Amino acid sequence: MNYESCDNRRGEVLGRLLPALIPAALLTLLLAALAIEPLPWRLSWTWIPSLGVDLSLYVDGLSAQFLLLIVGIGTMVFVYGSAYLAENSRRNRVFGLLVLFMAAMIGAVVSDHLLVLFVFWELTSLLSFLLIGIDHEQEEGRRSALQALLVTGSGGLCLLAGIILLGQIGGSYSLQTLIERAPLFLEDVRLNAALALIFVGAFSKSAQFPFHFWLPNAMAAPTPVSAYLHSATMVKLGIYLLARLDAAFSELLFWEYSLVSIGTVTAVLAAIQTVRERDLKRILAWSTVATLGTLTMLVGLPGNGAALAVAALFFAHALYKAPLFFVAGNLDHGTGTRAIDKLTGMRRYMPWTAAIALLAALSMAGLPLTFGFIAKGAIALAKEQAEALLLVSYAAVLVNGVSVAVAAIAAIHVFWGRDRSPLQAGLHPHEAPLAMLLPPLLLVILGLLFGLAPTMIDPLLGAAAHAMAPGFDQTMVTLSYDFLAVLEAMAGALVLGGVILLGWRRLGLLMDRFRHLEIVGPEAWYWRSLVLLPRLAARQTRLLQHGQLPRYVMTLVSVATLLVLALLLVARPGWAWPELHSLTAPVAGAALLIAAGALVAMFVRDRLVLLLVSGLVGYGSAVLFLFTGAPDLAFTQFAVETVFVVVVAAVLLRLRRTPLALGAVPTAARLRPLALAVATAFGASLTALVLLVAGLPFDNSLAVFFSEQSVPAAHGRNVVNLILVDFRAVDTLGEIAVLFFALLAVLPLFKRFGGGA
Amino acid sequence: MRSDALLAQVFMRSLYPLLLLASLWILLRGHNAPGGGFIAGLLAVAASAAYALVFDVASSRRRLPLAPVSLAASGVLLALLSGLPALLGGLPFLTHLWGTLTFGPVELPVSTGMLFDLGVYLCVWGVFGGYCLALLRSIEEIP
Repeated sequence: MNYESCDNRRGEVLGRLLPALIPAALLTLLLAALAIEPLPWRLSWTWIPSLGVDLSLYVDGLSAQFLLLIVGIGTMVFVYGSAYLAENSRRNRVFGLLVLFMAAMIGAVVSDHLLVLFVFWELTSLLSFLLIGIDHEQEEGRRSALQALLVTGSGGLCLLAGIILLGQIGGSYSLQTLIERAPLFLEDVRLNAALALIFVGAFSKSAQFPFHFWLPNAMAAPTPVSAYLHSATMVKLGIYLLARLDAAFSELLFWEYSLVSIGTVTAVLAAIQTVRERDLKRILAWSTVATLGTLTMLVGLPGNGAALAVAALFFAHALYKAPLFFVAGNLDHGTGTRAIDKLTGMRRYMPWTAAIALLAALSMAGLPLTFGFIAKGAIALAKEQAEALLLVSYAAVLVNGVSVAVAAIAAIHVFWGRDRSPLQAGLHPHEAPLAMLLPPLLLVILGLLFGLAPTMIDPLLGAAAHAMAPGFDQTMVTLSYDFLAVLEAMAGALVLGGVILLGWRRLGLLMDRFRHLEIVGPEAWYWRSLVLLPRLAARQTRLLQHGQLPRYVMTLVSVATLLVLALLLVARPGWAWPELHSLTAPVAGAALLIAAGALVAMFVRDRLVLLLVSGLVGYGSAVLFLFTGAPDLAFTQFAVETVFVVVVAAVLLRLRRTPLALGAVPTAARLRPLALAVATAFGASLTALVLLVAGLPFDNSLAVFFSEQSVPAAHGRNVVNLILVDFRAVDTLGEIAVLFFALLAVLPLFKRFGGGA
Repeated sequence: MRSDALLAQVFMRSLYPLLLLASLWILLRGHNAPGGGFIAGLLAVAASAAYALVFDVASSRRRLPLAPVSLAASGVLLALLSGLPALLGGLPFLTHLWGTLTFGPVELPVSTGMLFDLGVYLCVWGVFGGYCLALLRSIEEIP
């Protein structure tokens, strides 16, 4: 290799690292700001004053913790991805989407306004969809992406409803205001409904039962994406929202019971599902679901210790799970497979990855001197304080056991397992490049460092806990937990984990025997609804959109009649016979014209005559307008009527020469009696309405206002035109825009008949 | 081009510009007397439809200043633009501004409102003219 190509190679590597500068710069900025400016930070400016939406930012301990995860793990993911995706033709798109995703996540965790938070929330769902489906030529990728979008998207709709309801109850959309005012509306009966809707949103986002199934399928995404979105950040957004609201609602029993039960069920189900998997990445995904369940349960637990446990587990999980995902990525990169049956004894080929896996696994198993141990201690204390149900504790034993087994699979089985030669399995393992080793190494070292010296991270965890449980000012150092009890629990988990590890294959086979139970599971219902919904839509469309014009008109007129009648019933007017003005000759003539046109139309069969006769009705109305002080309206009516009659007459005359026009439409003939009844009812109800309105006292304040203001304010004397052009110009602008779009919609219809403009 | 209506064609040829002139006059007088963009636009539509009936749709379309969709779009755009100068002066969108143009002894009052009304006129012409021409075009194939 000569100098120049070596230089090029180095330049290429550096060039690929460029995107990582974005999160790295943000991380530096954030760390500097955290060092200088005490929390919380507030920032606010009006955005859409007419809707009461302010762009207000609020960063307290909880937000700061998330920000650190987002940009910190983000930096690692970008560096890792620079090498992992080096050969990927969609590299640029992945990084572009990741930058957008990072921005959306930052927006979600710093906004104080719930609706603004919601917008960012939905953005992350959308970007997750695009990132899972990045390999859109793969059927599996497309299906998984769509599933993630549909599940989190429908959850998002529920969340929006819940947010609006909560805003109505609390009288504000500001999180901080809502938390302050919460004691005032805790008794509100609507609150449970609002919270249930928010739960659906948060649970679908954070893969809680019964929405958990989308997360393991989301592993179709490239590994850096999975590590970032589907383990470290996005899937924790639901729990972030719950943790935020915990300060307001932790005293509600509904809150506590829902979160504890759903969280526990999720953790147990995920732990059981983990054992069935043979793909390392899917194993890690299920164990992420289990951790998310534990987090939900902890948010629900009352007591201050739980807040600290949530904060500690957030951090610990990010520091061990992201490196494990990176390890899975390295294995995939180095061997081309992630199947644990094929991967054994890899330490000889990938020593650095092996070391990283071991260190991360120690923390995941919660062994002493790691940050995982600290988190375990905090969780134990939280349960003790909250006097959690025994069942919850049993569940925790199982979940811990499985997580020890997962750690052992990732670190021991894969790297130190029985030394079957990988070459026999057709693998040609090689160690990953530096850019794929440094990020996970850095994370596991941080995990060890914080485990050895928890005081370093203590202030941040304390601040985060303070945000969830105001009035709580303890930190980890001042917390004392029963060290021995934690060690005891740990020993139990280690033993159970060892048993599960040894029996992994058998347990998986055993559980596969119950596979038929899946047909009642939530994922089966997802697929079923995907089949049923289009069918339902097709049936409904056939029922409503029959394509028969007479029936459409009848439906419209009937509904209008019912509305008018309902209006009359609800208003229950005191009927007063309107004061009759003396009839002038032109008005009487106009009325005769209209009546004659309408009557003749009833007995005419020929379409052309019908058109001309209905034109009489229009002309009669125009004459009426002309002599009752609305010349502009009269002009418009004349013009519309003339153009309409002439053009449609031309069409009808031409159509007469085709076989299309022969004979009346049969349905129209059958509908005649019904049509007569509907028309009579419509006419009668409208007459009643007109009589009623004419009997009411006339309020002419608008007429007075416009005639007074027309010359001084708008320099003109034609009030009708001035209203259109000046006083209510925005309305007119909207109307002509609607006209324009209607034209765009209509032209393709004509194209079908060889027309088009 | 049809040849079975010679008299009507001769008549239409001179009527068409007159109808458009009349529609412009109605557009401009609308400020103080009955008229304005909507009505004037409809009159222009009538002119286009009549022209299409006497000659054919293609010739009527050639007589339009722009294709119907573009005509309608330019109308909406013009109405939109007429509201922008007010923003420069810190006034709410679509607050119309007034001024006087002087040509020697003649003084003409002008305003952004006139531009707005012209936009309405063009949009109505484009949209309803487009409907009529498309409808008439669809029957032209019938022998």
